[in-house]
Amino acid sequence: MTATDNTPTTGAAGPIGSKRAAEAARLRRTAWYANPRFKRLAALMGVALVGAQVTGEQGTNRDIFHAMRENMTGPGLWLWVGACLLIWVVREFLRAPVANAWSTARRAGTGPAERARTVWRRDPRLRMLALTALLVFLIVLPFLVSRHWQQVLVDQIAIYVLLAIGLNVVVGWAGMLDLGFIAFFAIGAYSAAFWTGSLPVAPPFELNNFAVIPIAVITCLVAGVLLGAPTLRLRGDYLAIVTLGFHEIVYLMAKNWVEFTGGTRGASVDRFSIDLGFFSYQWGLDPRPYYWLQLGFIVALLVLFIRLEHSRVGRAWTAIREDEVAAAATGVDTVRFKLLAFAIGASTSGVAGVVYASKLGFINSEFFIVLFSVLVLSYVIFGGMGSIPGVLLGTAILIWLPEFLRDTVPAQDRYMYLGALLVIMMIYRPQGLWPSRRRVRELHMAEEGTATRAMPAAGGRPATTGGDTPS
Amino acid sequence: MTTETKRAADRPAEGGAEPHPTILETSGVTLRFGGLTSLDHVDLAMRRGEILAIIGPNGAGKTSLFNSLTGAYLPQEGAITYRPRAGGEEELRGRKPFRVSRLGLARTFQNIRLFGALTALENVKIAVETRQRTDAVSIMLGLPHARRAERDSDRRAHEVMRFVGLEHRINELAASLSYGEQRRLEIARALATEPELLLLDEPAAGTNPTEKHDLEELIRRINTELGVSVLLIEHDMRLVMSVADRVAVLNFGRKIAEGTPGQVQRDPAVIEAYLGASDEEEAEAVADLVADLDAEHADDPEWRGGDRAAEGRSNDGEERP
Repeated sequence: MTATDNTPTTGAAGPIGSKRAAEAARLRRTAWYANPRFKRLAALMGVALVGAQVTGEQGTNRDIFHAMRENMTGPGLWLWVGACLLIWVVREFLRAPVANAWSTARRAGTGPAERARTVWRRDPRLRMLALTALLVFLIVLPFLVSRHWQQVLVDQIAIYVLLAIGLNVVVGWAGMLDLGFIAFFAIGAYSAAFWTGSLPVAPPFELNNFAVIPIAVITCLVAGVLLGAPTLRLRGDYLAIVTLGFHEIVYLMAKNWVEFTGGTRGASVDRFSIDLGFFSYQWGLDPRPYYWLQLGFIVALLVLFIRLEHSRVGRAWTAIREDEVAAAATGVDTVRFKLLAFAIGASTSGVAGVVYASKLGFINSEFFIVLFSVLVLSYVIFGGMGSIPGVLLGTAILIWLPEFLRDTVPAQDRYMYLGALLVIMMIYRPQGLWPSRRRVRELHMAEEGTATRAMPAAGGRPATTGGDTPS
Repeated sequence: MTTETKRAADRPAEGGAEPHPTILETSGVTLRFGGLTSLDHVDLAMRRGEILAIIGPNGAGKTSLFNSLTGAYLPQEGAITYRPRAGGEEELRGRKPFRVSRLGLARTFQNIRLFGALTALENVKIAVETRQRTDAVSIMLGLPHARRAERDSDRRAHEVMRFVGLEHRINELAASLSYGEQRRLEIARALATEPELLLLDEPAAGTNPTEKHDLEELIRRINTELGVSVLLIEHDMRLVMSVADRVAVLNFGRKIAEGTPGQVQRDPAVIEAYLGASDEEEAEAVADLVADLDAEHADDPEWRGGDRAAEGRSNDGEERP
């Protein structure tokens, strides 16, 4: 706030001063290897060694040093070292010129990319066109990929996208950490099984899978409110533990209440079907019709949720996330809005559960383990909390990666790469792949300490400064 | 709905039953934190439509009183009675903060608490929208009344921003505004809830003389044009003396004086609280001195005698248990 920290750098001039200064300069000089640049080189070489070891040959029981010997002498090591050296050279020596050229081009507004950007910003029709093109691409996507990737799209990507959209409401917008999201997914899936008459216990009347969706939504809504009402006054870590506990309860019920859920043996569920009299259709083994159905659900939910984000509800969520005390003092009913976010997230998860059960045609308790809650959360954080395109992209990439690696690395190593990607991402780009603007600002303010709240309270300080912001 | 309340706030109550002349009354409010008594049987009556300033050395319990009034703290004893213009009586002690806000009490914070990552306009819109009742489902479906509510809140937020003179900064991020503008934005956010009683916690802290002057004018306009009663905590004595109708003085959680600015300035108990005079003679001497200085510097806007005195005393005040 005030300029009092400058004193150590000034002074020390004069006959004795110069000698002292030379001494100080000698002491202050750092050895070349202590230069951060070379520290980074050393770190990258370490990465190269580990990388070569990890991607190289597997070990054998007979010779414990076999893998290490092979990998440290083979060509793999040199490839890794070369690649890392290249990264280092580019980062340390070519970064500034490239960044300069980029920013000059950007400021001048020249360059084809910049011109495209301005046109893009100015014309909303163009954006609509691009969105339509994207949608058309997504509709024809199943025709362009193999059966294996169709299955991945339907069984994993589309389901997790549905889940991630729901979790984004809770974590990204309302700022509550929910580690038990899959519990509601399970409730949705078991609702589908129950109301289609697939569980050991018969329902009062059987329903079509589509008709189960509103029931599952209401069930999850009630479950979400029942869990949320007493616990939403907790903040951060405590809420995370409560939701984790809730997940464990639901999972253990699914596993151990065999007379109702079928436990680990599971239950087979009817698949989707429509019978309107004049038109009937039965979803079968082909994954593509499910994909289009899921795409429909996703687009519908996105339209609803984007409206919500830019409304009083979305703004109230942001206010609560940023400063709950100020929000309450302004008149925002914080508990009610948090409960709303929780219930919306839960019911989205429930819809995903119905879709999942009706696609697979079979569920058991092991589909609903805690790991999946953590995975969904990591997809949301990886993509960018609070940002719809980020969440979609993040989910798609993080599911695509292990599937892609299936053919290139040993199967049991796949999730190691996923973990490494998450670690690197959180260090270098904590805001996520495609962050929301509000979140980026919050992160900036937290880093620079310029959040309004961090400003001086300045009780009776004489006001002598000009009109500029004290910082 | 929002516009109706505004119009109601614009005109002084007319027709029907005359509203009770006392808008807020605290009796025996006592707040303790463990062994520390922050507020000690505070009795305070605030008249409708007045500007009441609360002064006192640091740690005297001024902000604790605000927090007790707005539901952030729960005082152990006492009653806080609020009488809305519409009639009736509301007990504020133990109410949730958002309920207090809905009854018509709005506040600002000593250390500014804006939603920094939102734009200035959005900050105000949040406050406007706490008075709306549009449900999430109609918003998601984009029903006409939800769209209308959104337009209303936009219009109303623009109005409030114009009132406080920030209409040129509406699309700036709240965190990027200057300190004085942030103070003004906080007042705008409070006003957007259409309060009958506005609680300002040191609105002039950290602002420069020009901003102080603007602020003084703004507080007067809020009081006269909008008909809002203002409860003001402030250390800047010049501002307090010029803007307040009455002044109440707190010291160690107790109300030691109340009256017009002139009365309070001459009160020996007040002078003792601020200057720590040990015996009455000295207090009298100091009072004379203060009066003389005040007369001497009456035309000088830079002279802030009381404020300087407050700073001299402040350290002792904080260290006392």
